[in-house]
Amino acid sequence: MLSSVFAKTLRDRRRAFLYWSLGLVAFIAMEVAVYPTVRDNPTFKTLGDSYPQAIKDLFSFGGQFDIVSGAGFLGIEAFSIVVPMMLIYCTVAAGANAIAGEEERGTLDLLLSLPLSRSRCLLEKLAALVAETLALGLVLWTVLVIAVPLAKMHIGVLELLAATLLALALALVFGMIALAVGAASGRRGLAIGVPAALAVATYVLNSLASLVGWLGHLQWFSPFYYYTRSDPLRTGLDLSDLLVLLAIAAVFAAAAPFLFRRRDLTTP
Amino acid sequence: MFGFLGPNGAGKTTTIRLLLDLIRPTAGRIEIFGLDLRRASVAIRARIGYLPGDLHLYERLTPREHLRYFAALRGLDGLGEGEKLAERFELELDRPIKALSKGNRQKVGLVQAFLHRPDLLLLDEPTAGLDPLVQQTFNELLREVAAEGKTVFLSSHILSEVQRLADRVAIIREGSLELVETVETLRARAFVRVEATFSEPPPVKAFAGLSGVRELERKGSVVLLVLEGPADPLVKALARYEVLALDSHEADLEDFFLTFYRTETSDAE
Repeated sequence: MLSSVFAKTLRDRRRAFLYWSLGLVAFIAMEVAVYPTVRDNPTFKTLGDSYPQAIKDLFSFGGQFDIVSGAGFLGIEAFSIVVPMMLIYCTVAAGANAIAGEEERGTLDLLLSLPLSRSRCLLEKLAALVAETLALGLVLWTVLVIAVPLAKMHIGVLELLAATLLALALALVFGMIALAVGAASGRRGLAIGVPAALAVATYVLNSLASLVGWLGHLQWFSPFYYYTRSDPLRTGLDLSDLLVLLAIAAVFAAAAPFLFRRRDLTTP
Repeated sequence: MFGFLGPNGAGKTTTIRLLLDLIRPTAGRIEIFGLDLRRASVAIRARIGYLPGDLHLYERLTPREHLRYFAALRGLDGLGEGEKLAERFELELDRPIKALSKGNRQKVGLVQAFLHRPDLLLLDEPTAGLDPLVQQTFNELLREVAAEGKTVFLSSHILSEVQRLADRVAIIREGSLELVETVETLRARAFVRVEATFSEPPPVKAFAGLSGVRELERKGSVVLLVLEGPADPLVKALARYEVLALDSHEADLEDFFLTFYRTETSDAE
């Protein structure tokens, strides 16, 4: 496990990964356990009618606001906020740790005194971040594939995969921002703060856009727009949305080594 | 073996970090092994061993894991020279680094710098935290690698430490290189401050004309002076009186440097 920067980075994240995996599994299990109660309670059928549009937009994950169907319930309860936020939290922590964390702990000086170029070091850490995100996605998808049929939610395996992939791509956007800010500044606080603030801001921007007219076009700048636009739990993957999210992530990923190469490293 | 001397804050660490391409010069370029550092930084670093002045290790690893990681990144099998060196420094390889004392951490830092038998060693205040016995082992190791024809670049703020090991010495002060001299030249100029306490005030003249004695001062029965060169004439002169206590300490670097500089310029006049 200590043969490369990639392997070492994954090894360092193993405990965090375990906790996040357990968190995801526990959360999905809880949601799925609650679903039959919601489905069988007639008052939930008309629940959406009494909510203002703004509230519905805050919790929307494509399609109609409908908490009674399996896809509607899982979209509103899991994929609208909690799942993306958990994934984003994880990728941002890993992204900020990659360069800035190591720099603040002072070990980066020694690491880069080895015959290892800065770009190489960063790309291995970036690859580890992607690998960790994919692994977390695999955990999420697996628990969904097992739990959803148990609660008779009637969502296909591919539809679950589509929603999972969109959530992963969204999380990668903010993870790459964390990595790039950390690579540019060497400051872990900044590398967490900037993507966290952006995540909240673009989430709110996307939710309010349908209500506030002049925000309409700005919605395009929100990664959440591409995340919530389609209805993956019912209609499967919209490839273009996935590609847009991956492209945004790629822009920050490409900027990171460029920013990292040209600056002076700091010592704690 | 090249001694790189300077008081704290003079720019020793900055220079070494420049040589490793960790920070970049605002002007000028650096060549090591005849290669341009910006263009061939990885190839150059493959041949360098580095011990930072402010050592930070991966706390959660054991020394063995840490050394294996660095050996792997240097393309070496196993621990490289690590096993042998760890034995020599009596470094315990399998306790987590976070549980190690400062001296033992420093040993890990030293061993990783020597893992790949580098052609150039950049050692930033390497003896900090080492106990005298380990320091001796370390000095032996340095002499060995120097005898193999490797270059050791040793930074320190202690003149005597560098004098013991280095062939040539540079002094850096407030970011600029002030002088580069052989150790012999410096040693000839080195001086100590001596404080002798007598049972009764001796005549001042007793030590006045002695060779190598300067800045003579008497405060009651205590005599303060600066001694440069061999100690024999002074010792013989002291022996004629009853000495209660004798204390001597090496001049600090700034002190030495100023004196050196003063005599240097007056020589030139």
